[in-house]
Amino acid sequence: MAQTLPKAYRFAPRRHLAVDVRATVNLVGALSKYLGLTFAFPSLVAVWYGEAVWPFLAAAAITSGTGFAVERATAGAGRSAGVREGFLAVSLTWLVAAAFMSLPYLFAGGSQLGHPVDAYFEAMSGVTTTNATVVTSYHDLPRSLDLWRAFTQWIGGMGVIVLAIAVLPRLRIGGRQMLEAELPGPELAQLGDRIRHTARRLWLLYVGLTAVEVLALAALGWLGADDRMTGFEAISHGFTTLSTGGFSTSAGSLSGFSPAAQWIVVVFMLLAGTNFALMYRGLMRRRPRSFLRDEEFRLYLALALVASLALAAQLVGHGVAHGEHALRSGVFQAVSIVTTTGYANANFALWPTLLLLSIFALMFVGASAGSTGGSIKVVRHLLTGKVLRRELDQTVSPEVVMPIRLNGVAVDERTLRAVVAFVLLYVGAWVIGTGVIAIDSAITGAGLGTLDAIATAASALGNIGPAFGSVGPLGSYAGLGDASKITLIGLMWAGRLEIIPVVVLLTRHYWRL
Amino acid sequence: MKVFLIGAGQVGSTILEALHSEHELTVLDTEQARLQAVADRYDVSTHEGDGTSRRDLSRAGAGAADLFLACTSRDEVNLVAGMFARREAPSATTVIRTSNVEYLELWRAGQLDVDFVVCSELETAHAISRIIGVPAARKTDVFAEGQVQIVEFAVEEGASRDVLGVPLRDAGIPRNSKVAAIISRSGTTLPGGDDVIAPGNRIVIIGSPQAALEWSALLAPEGGAVRDVVIFGAGRVGSQLARVLLEQGIGLRLIEASRERARRVAEAFPKARVYNTTGLEPDFLERERIGQAQAGIFAMGDDARNQYAATLAKVRGVPFTIAIASEAASEAAFDLARVDVAVNPRRVTAEEIVRFALDPRTKQVAMLEGNRYEVLDVTTRESSRYIGTAFRDMPVHGALIGAIVRNGSAVFPHGGDVLEVGDRVIVFTEAANVPWVVEAL
Repeated sequence: MAQTLPKAYRFAPRRHLAVDVRATVNLVGALSKYLGLTFAFPSLVAVWYGEAVWPFLAAAAITSGTGFAVERATAGAGRSAGVREGFLAVSLTWLVAAAFMSLPYLFAGGSQLGHPVDAYFEAMSGVTTTNATVVTSYHDLPRSLDLWRAFTQWIGGMGVIVLAIAVLPRLRIGGRQMLEAELPGPELAQLGDRIRHTARRLWLLYVGLTAVEVLALAALGWLGADDRMTGFEAISHGFTTLSTGGFSTSAGSLSGFSPAAQWIVVVFMLLAGTNFALMYRGLMRRRPRSFLRDEEFRLYLALALVASLALAAQLVGHGVAHGEHALRSGVFQAVSIVTTTGYANANFALWPTLLLLSIFALMFVGASAGSTGGSIKVVRHLLTGKVLRRELDQTVSPEVVMPIRLNGVAVDERTLRAVVAFVLLYVGAWVIGTGVIAIDSAITGAGLGTLDAIATAASALGNIGPAFGSVGPLGSYAGLGDASKITLIGLMWAGRLEIIPVVVLLTRHYWRL
Repeated sequence: MKVFLIGAGQVGSTILEALHSEHELTVLDTEQARLQAVADRYDVSTHEGDGTSRRDLSRAGAGAADLFLACTSRDEVNLVAGMFARREAPSATTVIRTSNVEYLELWRAGQLDVDFVVCSELETAHAISRIIGVPAARKTDVFAEGQVQIVEFAVEEGASRDVLGVPLRDAGIPRNSKVAAIISRSGTTLPGGDDVIAPGNRIVIIGSPQAALEWSALLAPEGGAVRDVVIFGAGRVGSQLARVLLEQGIGLRLIEASRERARRVAEAFPKARVYNTTGLEPDFLERERIGQAQAGIFAMGDDARNQYAATLAKVRGVPFTIAIASEAASEAAFDLARVDVAVNPRRVTAEEIVRFALDPRTKQVAMLEGNRYEVLDVTTRESSRYIGTAFRDMPVHGALIGAIVRNGSAVFPHGGDVLEVGDRVIVFTEAANVPWVVEAL
């Protein structure tokens, strides 16, 4: 006699996917809906300058409409996106955001940006706060589109702040759980109150600093100290400094502006490369001592200083520049690369090889964790160094127990493993990227030398932008083949998300139980 | 005085030993067998019951107590008993034993409603750190807020000829100190001017901290400041000790077999070097040059292991070993195994607790030589029979006045000095003479 099991004992049908894709897509759709609002700003700019508004309005309609439709279509998913879905959600968000942000380029980019790969490249470079551009002739771009480029970086910077304080720590990426104690929260989709609070405060700081820089730069123009520094220029550079983005309004980057403007930008690049949570404590809460007590901040400043002096000394030694000019070039370029901003105040691609190698090395430093900067980041170098030193001690005395401390607090071993794994993956991604670009460059005859290809991959992965040779600070990526461009898009994307979410998507374990 | 004692274990019975002759004692314990053992030896009233039961406490007569001592091995029992004692006998002084420093800190912050908290681990750590702080000392205790030290030294061949083999009256004894006792194989004497310190003896001196260090230099000329101490075992005693020694600026190495504990102490003490190993492998001891340590402290929570490790360390060349003896019987075994100092945490705790039971005029007491000798800190009253008497005229009664505290500072009296009312007198005496001394002063 067939006996029916009570309902509770029946086996549920086997679910094939371990990831709730529907809920993830739903979340990304919801975010896209709001992304549509960002087009309001360039629309106003277009109206102001009397340029075509429709590309932005169309982009806004497509973005919000698609987001809304996707959200509706996937509504009613049983669960909301959790930590497991986080990897996919984060990866998709940046891909999708770049796609929507590329719409104005497609509509109004003309021959420079109208090609889909170029448009997507420029948008990805923007939203990942890199400074790799395919623009060759800045005069031919509408001003609204030029400002839109800067604005994508500024929005990307805001995204990075949320990524850094809320998402990456929860996904335990690259040792980011160091910050986890401050940031609890049950669901990714509904960030905890405290995280939302923190995010809002840090955004306020971000907006505030941007405003201060814009005013400081604009003041130079008003006072007649810098003829080229108009309100438009000030706003553009404010957007791209605090986000460590680096897009500029001309091929010459910052080189055409006055020394005073360049020094102001140096200060704000340094601020943008500082941990925002630390800056909030130090500036807003008036506890300046927390800066000095922070090991990462101290090392960050020390590295920036040493790098600045080293570059300046080499510039003088090679007879490239002298006096204040050498010092300014050294400081500006070192800070720009260390913070992964990517501005230039001189065409460093033409500097002697030793200087190129120095700049190349700086590409791997990165700014502080919790800043808008990219690359490996100072705290990971610090921890990796400590791990290596302990490894040497334990080679002599295997029994010795040495917890590794950061700011006096012991860091757990799981975090340290994640840090070392991150550094290895980072280097791996860079090597693979270099290979593809070098091969493609050889096939297409794009004319990248060995060091150029190596630096290009490092620069894209570190979200810096300029490299050497034809893709140097005053150059353009327009001449590269599509395969190289797509590889660079991948590197920028992976680098911005700290690689691991992207690599996790490639593992079987992530998708299957 | 009516003393109510909870817990008849090792600490409890040590306290009973010290107090039973002068005080009216009531003991409460959950185990009949322990109570029986106590009742067989001392004239005390025993009750079987639970310290955490208000009813049991009340039935045993806790309400009548003047002094309430909770010294079971379990912190929570002591805490709860201490709380109930407040209700049962609001005027009684309550003392609880704990093995958790956190409770001690809570009490210091005024968060625990008891009069005193005695932390076994911390007292043990202090006892050991005092020994480490005075090289060549075997046991030390401090009085009068640290102004007076009582130190027991082992006298060895290498000691200075200023004090060795010469009659005490001719010996170059450091200023502000007195030899209170000479302990030899044949017994203990309270020495006179004709007595001689010989190698192999142990001596007890009373004096200023400076004098204690001078004695240390005389008795162990090679000793110096302590820079490298190895602690075996980072349990509660070991980690408390590490904290105390590090605070004194002593260089430390810690050896701990449990991985989690090793990690925990390594996190807690960045200045100490921590090894995760048993500390018994010859390979490790050799490679890490454990033999070069100036002292080894063995606190691995197992007497047999402590003794073995201490012997191994001695073989490697560690000159001075201190081992924790959790069982009273281990102290003799350690002595035979040439462990330099055995420290019994329960005895240390009991000594600390006993201090509260003495006459309000007596402040502190230390027990030396298996309870046969005690050091008292007594304040003289007007009726005292020796007020106005010069020290040289006082009778010899198996007791020695080592120091007096007058107006808050210590004076090390000479024959011509005179005893005054209100002096705090630090007396070294045989245990049997304690009531007489207290009465006389």
